[in-house]
Amino acid sequence: MQMPRAPLDTCPDAALLVAYGRGDTEAARVLTARLAPRVLGFATRMLKGDRAEAEDVTQEAMLRLWKMAPSWEQGAARVSTWLFRVTSNLCLDRLRKSGRATPLDDADEPEDDAPTVLARLETAQRHLALETALDQLSDRQRQAVILRHIEGMANPDIAQVMDISTEAVESLTARGKRALTAILAPQREELGYD
Amino acid sequence: MTDRPTDPLETLFAQARQAPPDLPDDLFARILADAETVDQARHKTVAKSGWWRELGTMLGGWPSVAGLATAAVAGVWIGVAQPVGLNDFTLIDDSETATEFDLVDLMPGFDILAAEG
Repeated sequence: MQMPRAPLDTCPDAALLVAYGRGDTEAARVLTARLAPRVLGFATRMLKGDRAEAEDVTQEAMLRLWKMAPSWEQGAARVSTWLFRVTSNLCLDRLRKSGRATPLDDADEPEDDAPTVLARLETAQRHLALETALDQLSDRQRQAVILRHIEGMANPDIAQVMDISTEAVESLTARGKRALTAILAPQREELGYD
Repeated sequence: MTDRPTDPLETLFAQARQAPPDLPDDLFARILADAETVDQARHKTVAKSGWWRELGTMLGGWPSVAGLATAAVAGVWIGVAQPVGLNDFTLIDDSETATEFDLVDLMPGFDILAAEG
């Protein structure tokens, strides 16, 4: 008697990837629908809003995932962690090559009298305020803050993605949040906070 | 009742989490086209090496094939190079073997005993 097959939608990422590695392209479809939007959102934020380039990075990261599918070892790492790591590296490479990279020290302490890019934003555009503020962080701080507070990843997973210690992740996210608070402070009223 | 974050930054993060970007249809199609291309290329590679893979499996997998290959190479090497040590054991060259046996003095004390009478 043949066992009924579990619906692909309920399968874990790793099982889907292994299924694709054995020739199940429907598994690739489910995996794309599940992971690609997150990768695209992350890449867009990492690349400071450059949507076209973020789409290229997303396609490239997913292509690398397809290529390594047959050799994927279940339990070795999370698929999403592996994918975010590849995406991070692709984004940082592109930022460096285009000269848009922000070194770590440049964004640590925003100047009090720096011109506020958010001055014209209305309350309804809070999300844009956050994106704009994120763009002012260093690449590493932005990466850590997005992974921790928007993607909701645990610090040990972020450490794997960024290839640093968990303590370094905590430090980067704490400094990133402090910098964001400082950047957004002058706009508290516009953003609808007292 | 749900807890609402009081930190403005946490509120902005929560809003960002709730609004993941839509995946454009053309990007979705490109990603799936890549998946199919990679899958097809992989099947071609597997098909090309199918006969060898089947033979290897029949012989017991790569450890057996490796052992077999090593034995075969060693056999050819011994046959061609004939290491020095093997000369002492060969039975092919009858003349040398006979000479060896002729020269062996099985009773070293016999001549002395005969001379003494």
